[in-house]
Amino acid sequence: MFLMFIGVYVEIPNFYHGDYRRLAIIPVILLLISIYFIPHIKFGVDFKGGTLISLKTKGAIDIQALEKSLGEAGIEEATVKQFALPIGNEVEIEIEQEEKLVRSEALKTEFFAKVDDVSRLEADLSRFESNATPFTQDEKKTATDAYLTARSGLDKIADQLFGLAELDEKASQQPNTDNLRKLVSDAYRKVNDDYKDRIGEAITRVANYDSISVQAISATLSAKFIEKAVSVVVISAILTAIVVFFVFRTFIPSLAVMIGAAADATIALGAMGLFGIPFTLASFAALVMLIAFSLDTDILLTTRVIKRGEGHAADRAYDSMKTGITMSVTAFIAFSVLFVLSIMTNINTYYEISAVALAGLVGDVFATWGINAVIVLWYAEKVEKSKKEREARVLSTIYK
Amino acid sequence: MKKLIDFISDKRISVLLIIMLFALGLAYFNGIKFGIDFSGGTRIPIVLEKPVDTVTMDEMVQTIKTRAAVFGLTEVKVRAVGTSEIYVEVPGNNPRLVSDIETLLSKQGVYQGVVDGKEALRGDDIYTGTIGQVSPSQIGSQADWAVSFSVTQKGANKFASVVKGKQDYPLYMFLDRPDAIVIISKKDLFASTSAFVKPVTDEELIKATNDALRLNGADIKLYLLEDFEKYKSSIKPETNRTKAIIAQNSTREVVDYLKAAGFAIEQRPPGELQPVFDSSGSRGQFAVVVREWKAVGLLSSPRLSPEVTSGIPNYGYIISGGAQGSGKQRALDAQANAKNVESILKGGALPVQISLGSTTSIPAPLGAEFLKISAIGAIAALVVISLFVAIRYRTPKIIIPIVFILLSEVTILVAIIGSFTIDLGAMAGIIAAIGVSVDAQILITDELLKKDTAEHTKKLNRAFSIITTNAFVAVVAMLPLLLFSGLVEIIGFATSTILGALLGVLISRPAYGAIVDKLFD
Repeated sequence: MFLMFIGVYVEIPNFYHGDYRRLAIIPVILLLISIYFIPHIKFGVDFKGGTLISLKTKGAIDIQALEKSLGEAGIEEATVKQFALPIGNEVEIEIEQEEKLVRSEALKTEFFAKVDDVSRLEADLSRFESNATPFTQDEKKTATDAYLTARSGLDKIADQLFGLAELDEKASQQPNTDNLRKLVSDAYRKVNDDYKDRIGEAITRVANYDSISVQAISATLSAKFIEKAVSVVVISAILTAIVVFFVFRTFIPSLAVMIGAAADATIALGAMGLFGIPFTLASFAALVMLIAFSLDTDILLTTRVIKRGEGHAADRAYDSMKTGITMSVTAFIAFSVLFVLSIMTNINTYYEISAVALAGLVGDVFATWGINAVIVLWYAEKVEKSKKEREARVLSTIYK
Repeated sequence: MKKLIDFISDKRISVLLIIMLFALGLAYFNGIKFGIDFSGGTRIPIVLEKPVDTVTMDEMVQTIKTRAAVFGLTEVKVRAVGTSEIYVEVPGNNPRLVSDIETLLSKQGVYQGVVDGKEALRGDDIYTGTIGQVSPSQIGSQADWAVSFSVTQKGANKFASVVKGKQDYPLYMFLDRPDAIVIISKKDLFASTSAFVKPVTDEELIKATNDALRLNGADIKLYLLEDFEKYKSSIKPETNRTKAIIAQNSTREVVDYLKAAGFAIEQRPPGELQPVFDSSGSRGQFAVVVREWKAVGLLSSPRLSPEVTSGIPNYGYIISGGAQGSGKQRALDAQANAKNVESILKGGALPVQISLGSTTSIPAPLGAEFLKISAIGAIAALVVISLFVAIRYRTPKIIIPIVFILLSEVTILVAIIGSFTIDLGAMAGIIAAIGVSVDAQILITDELLKKDTAEHTKKLNRAFSIITTNAFVAVVAMLPLLLFSGLVEIIGFATSTILGALLGVLISRPAYGAIVDKLFD
């Protein structure tokens, strides 16, 4: 970045003159490296589910003792990190999603999806008890059978949940579905409470904290987040493509803009994999923003090179680069500040947004001025050439 | 001076100045709201299983509020966020409060129907699956809405015997009726006002209130503050956990006396100690009844019709009622009333399955520290960027307008976002906007400084066309984040970045164009 900064003042020669195609080499290498690192991206608690606990403590704590204590409580998959910050000591514990919680959530959902139907069958039976309306024995038997079959299915689900909650209850012994409903709610709550208590006790045994914040994302919730994120990306990409094609109305320049943005996102994702920036809701939002703002430089370049006529295309590209890099530097400054703030406070939202944005801004420089520029220049030259050829043809026809 | 006046009178600049003044006024009078990340507190997000419409969402928020009120959790803020999430926020970091709320949300409430001081119906007696609204075509002309339900044999027998001969009596429907409380209230809360359909005396109101509080063995006692001296020697808590509910503005003396007598004190806003009366009934004894009193969990009081008071057990019942307004309004009101009764009968169960999201608590001093550091960061970003612009262009004529526009953009942005809530995401978005919003000014300046022969206006127009495209594309790319994600966690960030892009193109950029335009002439 510093070099870019210098580049704005020290007049570096216009490298778009001559064989500009070589310029694509660096970004292409960068892209390949990025693609290699993308599978290494770690998902944050938001998207993979699990629990993230952060503690503010007076002084440093013994991390190994904490890990051991958690292990004794049956929590094996825990990562503990400690940060000494200007505003105090912070301990972060990330715990993988526990299978038991996932199962209990699924069972609860399944139970409540079915219970109302069973309850209605149950109510139907009360008609036979009251003698209020005449009925045949056959009707009674059919209704009773229907209820018992449905009920036993429901009982099976409930019993599994009671097992998970270590509750000494049998679903079939509950007189009616309303009782069962309450017990199931209690059991689900107990599974979660037991889990929280286990973690809580394990932490209190070794660490004395001032405040605790628990971020627990269930499997259902993380699945929902993923679904939402995917739909946002798809809608955003489609809308942006439509707008870009509408603005330029020619295929190749529009494509160049989109390629520039896509390459930028790829580089940002690669950096996330390389530097271990977790993929969370915040970094996801930063990625979408990044694409939006990286389009700025792509549009600037493409508009100036394709839509303008003055001078040589290479000069217009070079001028755009000077403006574009100045723009990138200001954004870079803002996100650097945010990055410093994130180091000082250990606020994850700040860290994920700023780290992704910084990586993306660097990526944007290469993607726009290395890839997009090459495509656009090549296109501009082709257009100019064919225009000249056409003129030449026209002239030669005249002179014939 | 003339130059200055000239400046301000330019339409584009005066619009910016007016908007800035408006933003400052908004920030001054309305204050800037901060999320719990900065103000401290605990937030429990509730995630709904599926997105719901506004009617259902309102109903859910109301149900949670109602139940929280009965629990005495009055400082709790409940608000819908998008279509599939609800935030419950409590000030401070009180683990007990948080666990109370979690219990409240994950457990169903207990429904009790009381007639003439006796329990006639209980949640356990009702088959939950059978509670449902009766379709409008089957209601008939007598009512606007109706909810039907079936009861168990035991429930049917109990109900039949309790309500026998009690035609026209109100069925007080309680949810989580507290059993060990006394209420100490001011007499003027039970004063007759013009809001009543027909004149009623204060005594009648107090009598009606006491009627609603009766339940054998567990009456809730109502004492009037005005008579405190008279009864104070006889008032004693029945158990060691009996609560005295008293208005927040009560005198210290009374509170201390009650404390000394062994009551647990719970102070509520005076309004909560006032029942909602219904004086539409024309029939003697029950000319006026308490229709609703959330502080004791009384949520509705339909009257018993002659069909159910004969003493013969019935297995299916219908609660029906009228609605207010006309046309569509009336249909909506009927719908809301029916949903309310449905929800009470179901023990306050929410209409959609929920799961509790991650609880976040931030101690207030830490939040304040976060805010301070973030504000310093934002200022630092402003300073460094201004310096960079200064080094890049080296002409005060250019630097001053850029910095001025930048400052006004940030002011407007903070004022607008601050009128909703500034959370961590929004703060990150504001800092990002500082870096991104100068882009347009840089673009215009570079275009103007170009050494070609084109005139100013043409250069400006060329710059504006790029800027407008940029802002448009940026907004289009980010809007799905706001509109389709429903992810509360990033709404703040998305809103501030989108607003930053919009503000630029709509206000600052024309104004900057005008400034530079004039300066170059």
